[in-house]
Amino acid sequence: MAAATLPAGLVLQPGARTLRAFCTSVTPAARSAIPSPRECQSRRLRALREALPPRTEKMTVDQDWPSVYPVAAPFKPSAVPLPIRMGYPVKRGVPMAKEGNLELLKIPNFLHLTPVAIKKHCEALKDFCTEWPAALDSDEKCEKHFPIEIDTADYVSAGPSIRNPKARVVTLRVKLSSLNLDDHAKKKLIKLVGERYCKTTDVQQIGHCISELTFSFQKTEEWEKDKTEADMEEYIWENSSSEKNILQTLLQMKAAEKNLEINEEELLGTKEVEDYKKSVVSLKNKGDNENTLSQYKESVKKLLNLM
Amino acid sequence: MLRRMTRLLSGARQLDPGRFLHRGSPAPQSLDAHLDDQRPRAVSCTSEDDPARHGEQHAALHYHIPLQDLKTVFPQGLPPRFIMQVKTFNEACLMVRKPALELLHYLKNTNFAHPAVRYVLYGEKGTGKTLSLCHVVHFCAKQDWLILHIPDAHLWVKNCRGLLQSSYNKQRFDQPVEASIWLKNFKTANERFLSQIKVQEKYVWNKRESTEKGSPLGAVVEQGLTRVRNATDAVGIVLKELKNQSCLGAFHLLVAVDGVNALWGRTSLKREDKSLIAPEELALVCSLRKMVRNDWHGGAIVLTLSQTGSLFKPRKAYLPQELLGKEGFDALDPFIPILVSNYNPKEFESCIQYYLENKWLQHEKGVVIAFQHDLDHGASTQTFLGDTMLQRALPAVLPSSLPLPTSSYGGREERAAVPE
Repeated sequence: MAAATLPAGLVLQPGARTLRAFCTSVTPAARSAIPSPRECQSRRLRALREALPPRTEKMTVDQDWPSVYPVAAPFKPSAVPLPIRMGYPVKRGVPMAKEGNLELLKIPNFLHLTPVAIKKHCEALKDFCTEWPAALDSDEKCEKHFPIEIDTADYVSAGPSIRNPKARVVTLRVKLSSLNLDDHAKKKLIKLVGERYCKTTDVQQIGHCISELTFSFQKTEEWEKDKTEADMEEYIWENSSSEKNILQTLLQMKAAEKNLEINEEELLGTKEVEDYKKSVVSLKNKGDNENTLSQYKESVKKLLNLM
Repeated sequence: MLRRMTRLLSGARQLDPGRFLHRGSPAPQSLDAHLDDQRPRAVSCTSEDDPARHGEQHAALHYHIPLQDLKTVFPQGLPPRFIMQVKTFNEACLMVRKPALELLHYLKNTNFAHPAVRYVLYGEKGTGKTLSLCHVVHFCAKQDWLILHIPDAHLWVKNCRGLLQSSYNKQRFDQPVEASIWLKNFKTANERFLSQIKVQEKYVWNKRESTEKGSPLGAVVEQGLTRVRNATDAVGIVLKELKNQSCLGAFHLLVAVDGVNALWGRTSLKREDKSLIAPEELALVCSLRKMVRNDWHGGAIVLTLSQTGSLFKPRKAYLPQELLGKEGFDALDPFIPILVSNYNPKEFESCIQYYLENKWLQHEKGVVIAFQHDLDHGASTQTFLGDTMLQRALPAVLPSSLPLPTSSYGGREERAAVPE
């Protein structure tokens, strides 16, 4: 490149000399401030010849990286010693190199957050921390003393914007058993919460003030009196039509045998009726399958003395 | 189909039917060689024709129902394919199977002082619930019980013409056509009881007609048959009287309902303003519901659940709670559920044996081709083999060396390969 420019410099000279010829009236003081054409040319050449090597060439492998990128800074190709390429390649070409690469400048980089840097931050922050309480050494103890869990999520992605709307969602989780609700209040809460209740982990996600809710669920609202059998979550045998039916049947059987001394409570307390009750409850709650149906059949056979 | 079947029959040989299922190494070319293959013949029929004496030893065997009995005991209630088979073979043979044997055992040990026990036959489509019910009905008829047989309760909740508003209860609807058909069949089945049983109340039909207390039940039935408007009420009266009087012990009552899940399902009947009628609003359904309650004694109640013909139920549904729903289950509770399943290998062989003995299947390949033909054509109206289970079980049980035609329509080439 330097050899090509020299002739251009030589060509320029006559032009400079002609310029010089026009300003014969310039004072001697001014003459010294304006650099001579020869000086201009040499300075230019010097700059071209002595383009400073990038800082990466002076970097050792075990240097202290956090001091190169102590804070979030744009990508400096001369300061990052990695041969990164980015961009859509032309046909039969490769992606553009890092020098003068706008794509690398546009994207956010985390060069200031290498694991080493983070460890250093943590070390520095340790002075401001207190110890984890020794008593809370298991998950159960943590849950017992601190039943409310708040989940926040942060998202890292590459894109035109560093914001992610999902990062605004905060989840508050509470285990129902830690709320000290009685059976009725618990059922009411489950119904109101709907699908935000997870049966297997007994966890429920809500976003309200907890204490207010606990008190409000223990009161009985008026609309709860309208709860019908169809609303029941699971089948309860007491006071159901199945109980009435079996009671009637058994009473009739006893009446036929002229055995009128037995009363209802005794009838309901016998083992056969217990078995029958269990089989009906499992049939209703778990649905029909071979097991439940055969259990039901056996219990009815025993009850009705059919063998 | 008939043309093809006759070609088959004329081209086939007369074979000794007993050998085809137990082949060791079948060589389809020459059948003469197999005449020497003397394996023990499976017997398909038993000579024990009285259902009361059927036991475990008769399982998987067919027994004969005399055609005379068929007319009196079963004026209604047999599946249409079975009737076709009876007409073809000129005999009625029913297979004795485990669920029916179980039911017969319970019925033989019924305590008539206790409330009537409900037995519910359930199972997948085509497994034999209706025929098991018919077996039980035949048994009870032989034992001189009074049979109250409703052949298909689904017929009472759909496609009914001529719905009338009930004169007895303004909220309900009468179904004169269905009621009169049922009364006619009831009369045929229970002729001898109609003069014995006397009604216990006076029933006023209209200004001019009434039935006095103490007149035979036959009079009520006649009234229902002659005056079709009053047929539904007549049915209601018959059911009520029978229920009350069976407790007195003069007779034993069998209530047999096929497709009882129709009583608690939905109907497809509409009022004039096109709103759907609930089953509770049909007088026939109401009386039948009262009948299957167990608040009477002196008999038994045998019911089947059926998805075929049911309304708004998925095709694969067969379990009691699926078909009955919550209301139906609570109404029938406590009941004895009895599962009816497909043929086991022994029953299947017996069935094939029966068809072979009747010369319906004459060639072991004929078995395959006939069934493939039926399978391809949906086997609904064209099959003369009244056995859905046979068709279903066939590919599993046949020896794999028998070539099953794979192309649809049986393949004309296959038929040409039948040796002359």
